[in-house]
Amino acid sequence: MEGSNSEEIVQENTKIFTIKTQVGKEQNTADLINSRAGKSKIKIPSILVTPELRGYIFLESYDKERIRDMIKTVSYARNMLEGDIPIDQIQHFLIPASAVAKITEGDVVEMIAGPFRGETAKVTHIDDTKEEITVELFESVVPIPITVRGEQVRVIKRKDEEKNKSEEEKRD
Amino acid sequence: MKIVRACKTCHKLTESDVCPNCSLPTSKRWRGYVIIRNPENSQVAKAMNITKPGKYALKVM
Repeated sequence: MEGSNSEEIVQENTKIFTIKTQVGKEQNTADLINSRAGKSKIKIPSILVTPELRGYIFLESYDKERIRDMIKTVSYARNMLEGDIPIDQIQHFLIPASAVAKITEGDVVEMIAGPFRGETAKVTHIDDTKEEITVELFESVVPIPITVRGEQVRVIKRKDEEKNKSEEEKRD
Repeated sequence: MKIVRACKTCHKLTESDVCPNCSLPTSKRWRGYVIIRNPENSQVAKAMNITKPGKYALKVM
């Protein structure tokens, strides 16, 4: 009897399936699937909720059809996408890069959150361990250094771009 | 309602100020959510170097 015993299936490699959920209810869906998997015999080694991907969760399992049947009864779970995805494609979600990794001193950034939202500033210092940056606002009369979290800014002009532009202007 | 916190080292989610696994301080600022049910058979657990089942954060700030 092939595949009739769930213990035999455990020996296979797991597959990663994508479940479409109600937006904002990804974590609740993961918890519901977790409790459902505990009660049933369906083997689900892991469930992954990534903040970057709203409305979707990843589920690691063996049997696609059993998962498809199970999620029909789970609130907030909409449907399952066709096919499975290799682990390499979700690797970048598992080990997220630092929020300040792509920012360098001298970059021009726009504040996207906090009390200075919408203002532009120049990066003067980067703290890699705390993932914080210190900026000086262009609009302020007196340059006051402000320390903000790396996620609160968006780079609008790189230091290199600015340097190239000023060199071109000099040539003209 | 209690605030869920994450260990700064092992990323395990807990309601305590100290991680039950590694006895280190926890943070209330975290992102991403992973439920590991069977670390031995999970590719995700292996990629994240998780050996114990439980709920984990992807990123702790």
